[in-house]
Amino acid sequence: MKNLIQKLVETISPSGYEGTVRDLIRAEVEPLADEVRVDALGNLIVRKGKKGPNGVRVMFSAHMDEIGVMATHIDEKGFVRFTTIGGVRPHTCVGGRVHFITGVQGVIGMERPESPDRQPTFDQLFIDVGATSRADCPVKVGDIAGFTRPFLDLGDKIVAKSMDDRIACAVQIEALRALKKTDHEVYFVFSVQEEVGLRGATTAAYGVDPEIGISVDVTGTGDTPKSGFMEVALGNGPAIKVRDGRMLSDPRLVDLMVKTAEKAKLPYQLEILEGGTTDATAIQMARAGVPASCVSIPCRYIHSPSEMVDYRDVQNAVRLIVELLAHPIVLK
Amino acid sequence: MTQELTPFLKELLSLPGLSGYEGPAREAIAAVWKPLVDEITTSKVGSLHALRRGSGAAPRPRILLSAHMDAIGLMVTGILGGLLRFTQIGGVDPRILPGQPVTVHGREALPGVVVSPPDALLPARLQGKPVDMEYLFVDTGLLPDDVKKMVRVGDLISFAQEPLDLAGDALAGHSLDNRASVAALTHCLKELQHMQHSWDVYAVASAQEETALLGAFTSPFDIRPDLAVAIDVTFAKGPGAGDHRAHPMGKGVALGYGPNIHPFLYKSFKDLADRLDIPTLMDVMPSHSGTDGYAMQVVAEGIPTMVISIPLRYMHTPVEVVALKDITRTGQLMAEFISRLEPDFMSKLTWED
Repeated sequence: MKNLIQKLVETISPSGYEGTVRDLIRAEVEPLADEVRVDALGNLIVRKGKKGPNGVRVMFSAHMDEIGVMATHIDEKGFVRFTTIGGVRPHTCVGGRVHFITGVQGVIGMERPESPDRQPTFDQLFIDVGATSRADCPVKVGDIAGFTRPFLDLGDKIVAKSMDDRIACAVQIEALRALKKTDHEVYFVFSVQEEVGLRGATTAAYGVDPEIGISVDVTGTGDTPKSGFMEVALGNGPAIKVRDGRMLSDPRLVDLMVKTAEKAKLPYQLEILEGGTTDATAIQMARAGVPASCVSIPCRYIHSPSEMVDYRDVQNAVRLIVELLAHPIVLK
Repeated sequence: MTQELTPFLKELLSLPGLSGYEGPAREAIAAVWKPLVDEITTSKVGSLHALRRGSGAAPRPRILLSAHMDAIGLMVTGILGGLLRFTQIGGVDPRILPGQPVTVHGREALPGVVVSPPDALLPARLQGKPVDMEYLFVDTGLLPDDVKKMVRVGDLISFAQEPLDLAGDALAGHSLDNRASVAALTHCLKELQHMQHSWDVYAVASAQEETALLGAFTSPFDIRPDLAVAIDVTFAKGPGAGDHRAHPMGKGVALGYGPNIHPFLYKSFKDLADRLDIPTLMDVMPSHSGTDGYAMQVVAEGIPTMVISIPLRYMHTPVEVVALKDITRTGQLMAEFISRLEPDFMSKLTWED
């Protein structure tokens, strides 16, 4: 699975420009699925199984887009000014490298700060692609780039840019691979534009019209020095979301996932994330409403180029999803 | 207020039914609504849908009346030495929390109190100020090991203060936002028992208004009404809320006016109230009405929407105050409006004049 994860995280596909990662995932899932389609927004919608007598139509969603930047201006010396796609923070940019989807690469530099202890703002940052003038700069206004950082395997811990949310794409692919027979009509959606407002999941959920919705995404942790308070820690198992910044999980679905984990002797943690949200928020609001929750992969340093997850949590998330689909899904 | 309505409202106030966990409130409302309607169901996300059929020829037009039943409250985020850390569900002002009695809904319901550390133990920059929520705790009196057996992350904490009858026909309590409107909607359904109405009436006690307008986005998709009315509370004049943006309490029903409200509906309600001598106030809503109406208006192809509000003091505190007669007036006005809805009302609802 680590090879798959490495391929996924080293692909550059910011929100709205998911083509490259969609092709990669499509090649992985096509031999495993009963149906694969791409909707009008670019969501990759993968179906396995048909609704049996005791089955439900259940939609999982992992977003395949990632945060990135977009060129807004090229100055006369060939330096590129940029704006952000999704929740990029300036302090994670300085010294970083970006890879435009055109293939051009560059580094992020910073104007001389007025005060050494002040954090830079985006208008003080620029991308240097090695150009000397506007004329020879290979970047045009509107060009899209992602951050680059090689995949790092620390044993149990693995680190990369865009673990958010390619790690969940890997989880869904592996769950699909492990899913031999199920009574449920299972949709694994690889959604677009999550980072810019859950746009893909909004239309995918309308199209799939699920009876149950579960997003698969990363969540924060409270296990690093002087971090904010949060009970979730790396390595304690996948997190079952009780709530986040914008969604209260359906309590019946939370209970079902907790009981499923306990019966299968899988580790799990209950998650309360106070800021941020996932595709499940959009699924819950679709049509006449959908009972929804989220299986979360605990992740340190979210929205930085070095997001860290625990490989065992990843594997246990796959097991939890497979286990959930192996039994009737009845909300009580 | 009619005699049986006040005890029902007080019963509702005593039930938790926090956003996302509306079960206890929903059951109590369903029990009272059942004899008043023809069909009653629960939506996929927990809103209560009650249909009272009209007398017109099928297919009948539909009006949806939505009063959210969810309440704000707290949720356990962790356990520290036997004390509970918590976050909010909906908008809770941490300044009013210390000293509040609460109920912790653990493996069984536990009484608790919200406590804040002594000022001297806080970091210097926080001393002498209201304490942020992250420094507040709930004490259940249990020893640390017993707390861990009884309480886990994600458990709910609801306000436990009993409602209080105030002089002047007023009631104080938590969750009057928006159980007061549920009472008004109940009063409307009771009035309709002895009125003729040609339209189908869908009374909805909606879920998760305080957090996401979830019920309001989803119920109209299911019901597909021709008209939608949100019933909620609005700011009544009180300390610090004395200017033109707040309404006098006990002086009538606040009718929403602004882009969230169809102008023809505003005019229809206003004209009717004037004819019936029901006092009204204009509730100016320049953008987000802060009610279910904001969501209902844009569901599916869009729904002409009205917002009716009950003036309330000290919103989102455990001592919200309403005038009981504003509740009955609100229910009365809705029932009168419904009974006068002609089968062809929708053809008159236009954007002219």
